[in-house]
Amino acid sequence: MNVEKKHFTCVICPLGCEIDVELQNGKVVSMEGNKCQKGEEFVSQELEEAMRILTTTVSIKGAKWAMLPVRTDKPIPKRLLSKVIEQLATIELHAPVRMYHVIVKGIAGTDANVVATRNMKKVNHPKNAKKDLISRKEG
Amino acid sequence: MDVEADVIVIGSGPAGLTAALHAHESGARNVLLLEREEELGGILKQCIHNGFGLEQFKKDYTGPEYAERLIEELEKTNVQCFLNTMVVSLSPDRTITAVSPEKGVFHIKSRSVVLAMGCRERPRSSINIPGTRPAGVYTAGVAQRFVNIDGYLPGKEVVILGSGDIGLIMARRLTLEGARVKGVYEIMDYPGGLKRNIVQCLNDFDIPLYLSHTVTEIQGKERVEGVVVSKVDQKMNSISGSEQSIPCDTLLLSVGLIPENELSKEAGVELTPITKGPVTTETMETRVPGIFSCGNVSTVFDLVDYVAETGMIAAGNAARFAAGDWKKGRNPVEIIPGENVRMLFPQRYSFKDDLILFVRSAKPIEKPVNIELSPLGMRLKRLYARPNEMIRFKVSRDKLKAVTGPIEVSITER
Repeated sequence: MNVEKKHFTCVICPLGCEIDVELQNGKVVSMEGNKCQKGEEFVSQELEEAMRILTTTVSIKGAKWAMLPVRTDKPIPKRLLSKVIEQLATIELHAPVRMYHVIVKGIAGTDANVVATRNMKKVNHPKNAKKDLISRKEG
Repeated sequence: MDVEADVIVIGSGPAGLTAALHAHESGARNVLLLEREEELGGILKQCIHNGFGLEQFKKDYTGPEYAERLIEELEKTNVQCFLNTMVVSLSPDRTITAVSPEKGVFHIKSRSVVLAMGCRERPRSSINIPGTRPAGVYTAGVAQRFVNIDGYLPGKEVVILGSGDIGLIMARRLTLEGARVKGVYEIMDYPGGLKRNIVQCLNDFDIPLYLSHTVTEIQGKERVEGVVVSKVDQKMNSISGSEQSIPCDTLLLSVGLIPENELSKEAGVELTPITKGPVTTETMETRVPGIFSCGNVSTVFDLVDYVAETGMIAAGNAARFAAGDWKKGRNPVEIIPGENVRMLFPQRYSFKDDLILFVRSAKPIEKPVNIELSPLGMRLKRLYARPNEMIRFKVSRDKLKAVTGPIEVSITER
């Protein structure tokens, strides 16, 4: 029989229960340390598929700043975080962008969208023209 | 006088935005918001992570979303915002001297003032790390700006000193962007940041956290080449023989925040070492009449919700003061920290309003505790007390009526 022990810190509320779990063949046989039912739910979700909101940035041209902040509009599997980051690194937006504008629909095969988290106006003289400078040098 | 105002708010971060909005909502006619940067929002713009507004709006916003929500509301009002405007002095009679590219040097006279300048990060010089002075040493907030707004990665092999929330957030952010975070080192024997940040920023990415450790040397000539970390004893002295060299190109410092009170001092506002911010009453009025203070310039809060709450209180009262609806009332009593209380805000009670008290424990107590207000005989129960989690509670004005002397707040095990 395959017996495994795992430790979790519940983040549902600020209490942050330290929960010890014993698994047999992947099934929970004992759980200790959680002070409420929510801790149990938290652990089973973490075991089944840990889900996280991803917040990051995407390149934007023609705006005051070089980067536009974005987020997933719902949690996505934790194991997909770096894949999503890689995918977003290939995108370049152009100002103006409105808050909650959908940048990628259904990212990495999930049902979550990546959306802008702020408004960013178009400006005539972008202050942060870093990338333009580099390409000019290369040219 | 170049400009006149009923309520002036200095700074447009979460405290200032909330204060400006609420001053308007409280009936102040001529509200002016001064911001030294070119857009509103303060530090929220670079805090792209979520977790903002959980209590205030029951929503899980990112920093920029939280700011936009307030900015959009502000745009519907007649509150005037002066951007690129640096306040250079504030006098006790509430005259402000400011400077901007558009207006040059100009003066504003206001009936009341709300201080909302926030806080700044403690730099390397405030903790005196020995070693060379190469490039590659940044405070966590500066690195956050580089990554999230300017699109630069400050380094590839990173060590973080201090486990404050910004340091934890940056550990995750830099990892996601491709840097390798070798560890977070904390001099105390408990973490500085919130538990959810330890889990979601460090544990999720297998970034180790070393408690009772500090950086004792920075190495490298032009650029950081490595740091020496050491264990510390209970008195926080490094233990000789425990040194360990860690090659890295970047050291991030997340070693605390200090309220930004240069202007307050100039206006004669009394500060307290308990918070490093102004001494205020429950109305957020400082000891200079008509000057109110809120948010992180008062004391460094854990949650934006608390910052906004103090902003609302300060603004409501600043509007009342500006309207001439401000009676002197009873003499305020002191609120003083007792057993196991490291921080306490506000420090005076003036019998005008309910008291919302913020308390920070001096040490972690992972057992049920009582928060006692003596001589009131009031006891509030909590399941634990941790220095990294402010305790907030409200005491109604009715309960405080009978108080005649100082109120002492202490935290004791049950």
